[in-house]
Amino acid sequence: MNDKTLIEITDLQKYYKGGEIKALDGITNKIEKGEVVVVIGPSGSGKSTLLRSLNLLEIPTGGSILFDGVDITDKKTNIDHHRQKMGMVFQHFNLFPNMTVLKNMTLAPMKLLKVSKEEAEKYALELLDTVNLADRANAYPNQLSGGQKQRIAIVRALCMHPEVMLFDEPTSALDPEMVGEVLDVMKRLAEKGMTMVVVTHEMGFAREVASRVIFMDEGKIIEEGSPSDIFDNPQSPRLQSFLAKVL
Amino acid sequence: MNNFLNSLYDQFRLNFIDDNRWEWIVKGLKSTLIITLCALIIGLIIGIIIASIRSTYDKNLETFKLRGGIGYHIMKFLNFICHIYLTVVRGTPVVVQLLIAYFIIFASSRNGIYVAIFAFGINSGAYVAEILRGGIMSIDNGQFEAGRSLGFNYLQTMRHIIIPQVFKNVLPALCNEFISLLKETSIAGYVGIVDLTKAGDLIRGRTFSPFMPLIAVALIYLIIVLILTQLVKLLERRLRNSER
Repeated sequence: MNDKTLIEITDLQKYYKGGEIKALDGITNKIEKGEVVVVIGPSGSGKSTLLRSLNLLEIPTGGSILFDGVDITDKKTNIDHHRQKMGMVFQHFNLFPNMTVLKNMTLAPMKLLKVSKEEAEKYALELLDTVNLADRANAYPNQLSGGQKQRIAIVRALCMHPEVMLFDEPTSALDPEMVGEVLDVMKRLAEKGMTMVVVTHEMGFAREVASRVIFMDEGKIIEEGSPSDIFDNPQSPRLQSFLAKVL
Repeated sequence: MNNFLNSLYDQFRLNFIDDNRWEWIVKGLKSTLIITLCALIIGLIIGIIIASIRSTYDKNLETFKLRGGIGYHIMKFLNFICHIYLTVVRGTPVVVQLLIAYFIIFASSRNGIYVAIFAFGINSGAYVAEILRGGIMSIDNGQFEAGRSLGFNYLQTMRHIIIPQVFKNVLPALCNEFISLLKETSIAGYVGIVDLTKAGDLIRGRTFSPFMPLIAVALIYLIIVLILTQLVKLLERRLRNSER
């Protein structure tokens, strides 16, 4: 493993019901620092399961995941410590409804990184400013629109200074007119060199921002390559029929 | 009219003033409140422990199964014990539980109040446990995942993210449990405790005039319950406001 590799996945499996259902069926891949990997595929293809396995929200039934050279699937690894360096953004935002935006963002840095309140709030406000939401710092989540919530969720994860950001269909629960503002934030994040793994149905985003696109179906990686390889020159019939349906 | 008022006054004198019978009511009320409060505290402690075990087991079942180890078996065993406790306590009348506690478990003790506190505490614990567990399970799993993905461990996620939300949701239900508990303690007379109900009944037995003492007792319960209900309402409004 060279020092550019951030995550190394080896023969990852996730079986349900004793192997009857194979959500992940032997996935092997490497994610390098600074890469933006977009995972596409039909629903039920295992792409969300793969993403959620990366920080062990789903516990794989086989295979291994090396993060920063540490096997996080090892029972002895302290996964909580590694999760601090892996930001995650969910389809349904999952902001804490009983806390203000600022509290949402400062809770984890203050409790886990032992950052002082002033420092945590200063950084949170800086980040809020980058997503044009500094004026909503004291709002509660239910006072925000979906797009605003998701932008908050992104900067909440960034408050922990993650090494990689995992996006689980971040725009799927949004009204169409709000998709753009969230993708914009993600695009800027990618331009700053953040390592990102994105599960999405936004093919435009994949084509424009991804450094590599992975196509999954039935728990396997069917095809991977640069956006132009995948979108302009698909090899496998399954990818071809998938693209014919979504493009 | 005058006659009626006079007879009412006579009854009042007979039941409460003569022989200082009002003192019985005061003493009875004191016992009732002591039993209720202490049982509530015991119930809360038991409830929190049981709810923690049960919801931890439910929430982490998959993890436990995959990672195996001794932890899974310990949790499975604890969960089983809790399950039996809940089934038995909620499946039998509280009077019977009180009698069993007094005549079987603590047969050698004749200190009724302690036995009653124990019995009502154990009983209340089961209901509190289910209220809390319901509250925990009603929180969207996404909240857990958000907490865990930020790097909080299970206990930290519970403490900083889940419990504050659960607390708001279950507070009204807990207050209602408190109110039912207060009323349920009226059966304490079964094991020779002079609580509020028993005090009224004793006066009735002495004066052979049931109206005054029993209505007085009913009014006292009602007033306490009304005060508590009002407090719950205030609390609920407050909680709702803070969420905006």
